[in-house]
Amino acid sequence: MNLLRFGHDAYGERVLNGVAWELLLPVAFWAGVAVIVGHLIYRALRRGKSGRTHGQ
Amino acid sequence: MANDTQKLQRHAGVDRLFHWVTAVTLTLLLATSLLPILGVRFAWYGVHWVAGIVLTLIILLHIVRALFWQRPGSMLLTAADFSARGAGKYTLAQKLMHLGWTLAVLVAIVTGLLLLRKAGVSFMTRDPYAYSPGTWGFVTLLHDLSALLSVFLVLVHVYFAILPEKRAYLRAMVSGFITRRDLAAEHDVERVERGE
Repeated sequence: MNLLRFGHDAYGERVLNGVAWELLLPVAFWAGVAVIVGHLIYRALRRGKSGRTHGQ
Repeated sequence: MANDTQKLQRHAGVDRLFHWVTAVTLTLLLATSLLPILGVRFAWYGVHWVAGIVLTLIILLHIVRALFWQRPGSMLLTAADFSARGAGKYTLAQKLMHLGWTLAVLVAIVTGLLLLRKAGVSFMTRDPYAYSPGTWGFVTLLHDLSALLSVFLVLVHVYFAILPEKRAYLRAMVSGFITRRDLAAEHDVERVERGE
């Protein structure tokens, strides 16, 4: 699967057209979701740890 | 001892206006560029370039205001951001978010203004032969990458804005004020008052 989109100019030469949206748009979206999920896990672990500390 | 509920001004009215106008224009720019890619067909180009011009103008105003009326140093990454002490006006995460937006928006604006020449607008004659196809491709690639970075940043920015423990920052971006107690959770109030 290509990261980039290509087309052809008037002489038939292959030219760059931009990013391959069908691949990179989901990557950008899921990268954002991964950061959110990662932070939620970190936040839950940190809260659990501080809860145990306060409970002692 | 200072009153914990004392309200401190965090954002002036003009800066809050800038933030929310930027939010609306960026939403319009992302919607008009990405919805057609996702299969939603409509006449997107008019709204897209007008929103792009509005974004360009308000970013220029923001740069002038930040350089001459605010303390631009408070947004720069410094060694103090990595120490255990409380942050200045902005935390490390907030500075990194601003850096990400700076990169995404400046690349989008510069490449977008170039692409106006290729596509044509009411105040500029269309000239798709101004650059070679390869150069247009590279400009489009950078414009596309700025859109992808923006998608990532919108998700992370909105997530942190609505997180309960960060809600004071969202309230400050609406009302302009934050309480001393909310500020002291992550900031050194003395550093903030010194303009760091």
